[in-house]
Amino acid sequence: MIRTAMLLALFFLPLPLSAQVRASEVGGVTQMIDGTKLSIEYSRPRLRGRDTLFSKGDMRWGDTWTPGANWATTLEVSKAVKLNGHPLPKGKYSVWMVLRRNADWTIVLDPKARMYHMNPPDSNASQIRFAARAEPAPLTDVLSWSMPAIRMNGGTLVFEWEHWRVPIDVEVEPSLVTTLSAADAAPYLGRYTWTELDRDGKPKETSLFTVTHEDGTLKAQYTPDDPYFRKFALVRIAPDWFAPGVYDKKGVLYEVLKPEMTFEFARESGKVTRIVLRDEDDHVTSTAVRKP
Amino acid sequence: MSDILNRRHFLAVCSTACAALLVPTRGAWARPIAASPALPHPTPRPGITGAKVLTAEQLADKPKLVALFNSVRQIPEVVDGIRCNCNCTNPPDFYSLLSCYEGQGMARDCVICQGQGRLAVRLHAEGKTLDQIRVAIDAKFS
Repeated sequence: MIRTAMLLALFFLPLPLSAQVRASEVGGVTQMIDGTKLSIEYSRPRLRGRDTLFSKGDMRWGDTWTPGANWATTLEVSKAVKLNGHPLPKGKYSVWMVLRRNADWTIVLDPKARMYHMNPPDSNASQIRFAARAEPAPLTDVLSWSMPAIRMNGGTLVFEWEHWRVPIDVEVEPSLVTTLSAADAAPYLGRYTWTELDRDGKPKETSLFTVTHEDGTLKAQYTPDDPYFRKFALVRIAPDWFAPGVYDKKGVLYEVLKPEMTFEFARESGKVTRIVLRDEDDHVTSTAVRKP
Repeated sequence: MSDILNRRHFLAVCSTACAALLVPTRGAWARPIAASPALPHPTPRPGITGAKVLTAEQLADKPKLVALFNSVRQIPEVVDGIRCNCNCTNPPDFYSLLSCYEGQGMARDCVICQGQGRLAVRLHAEGKTLDQIRVAIDAKFS
C-alpha cells in the first residue's frame, strides 16, 4: 500500500526533471549530412579519478560494453549508411563495443535499441558487427561522442573516453550524381557570353563563361575568374538544369548550392544556345548566350 | 556505469512515465527536419479554391509579394498538389504549398515557399503539367 502511494506520488508530483543530478548526464550528438540524419543519444559517465579504467578498472578485455551508461547508447540513422564500409539500414540501434587488449575492438549494433547497460545482447543474426580500431588518445574525462570530420558524402564519428579513441567512418547515400558521361555533357560544352543582371533585370556586368568536361564531370569557369567559384562542377539535378558544386583547395567538392542557384540551359532546335541562372526565389540573376 | 541497477531502473521507468504524462504529444505541429525526396506530393483537394490566399490588403506590409500571391490564387488546383520543402514548422491545418499562402502561412516570409510558388506559377504558364511541375520542384528544392 505504501509503495503504491509512493508510486502515485511520483507520478503526480511536478518533478523538476531538468534539475536532477546524475553521475552520467544524458547527452547527444545529431548531424545532418546530405539529407541523412545521424543521432547518438547516450548517458555520459565521468572518470571521477578512474583514469586507468580500461587497463586496471571496471572494464575487462573481452567484455561487451555500451559506450555510455545506464540505458544503452543508441544510434539512429534516417537513411541507410555505411559504417567502416559495412551497410547499416535505416533505423535505431543500441550500440555496444567488444573491448580487446590488442585495440581491435568490435562494434555491435543491435536493432533492439532500448536495452540496459548491464544486459549486453547475445550475438545474433540481426546485429550489425564490424571491426573498429581503438587508438591511444589524450585523457578524456567525460565519455564523448562527436563528429569532428564532415565531408560531402560522410564523415567520422568518434568515441572518446579515458585514454582511448575509436573513429568510425560514416558514408551516406549521396543525393546527387556529380558525374556525367561525355555524350551527355557534349551539348553543353562551349563558351558563352555571360551577363549578370541587377534586381530590375538590367544588364550589370559581362564576362566569359566556359563549360568543359573534365574527369567525368561537367565543369564551368568565369573569365575573369570568380575567386569563390573558381572552376566549379555543374551537377545535373534535372534535364538541362544544373546546380553549382564548389571545390575546396584540395579539389574536393564540399558544397552544392541547391536551391540557391540553378543553371537552366535552353535549347533551340535541339541545340543548347542559352543559359538562364535563377536563384532560390526563381528570379533570373544572369543570362548567357553561346558564343559563335 | 555499474550503478545500482534497481534504483536506476526504477527512476528511469518513473521518469519515462512522468515525461509521457507531462509532455504534450507531437503531431501536426512537427514536420521532419530533413527534406526527404521520398515524401509524396499531396493530392489536390477536390473543389479547392484560392479564396483563402492572402490578399493585397492582408499583404500591406509586403507589397512586393502581392503579385506572387495573386498568381498563386489563380492556380490553387496546381499549388495544392505540391509538397512544401521549406521544413519550417507548419500550422495544424497545413496541407500543401497552398497552405503556405493562406492565413499565417510561411510564404509571407520564407524565400523557399516563395521560390516554389514562383516556379510553379512560371512552369504552369509555360504549359507544364502538375507532374512536370512536381519533378521540377523536387529537382530544385528537395
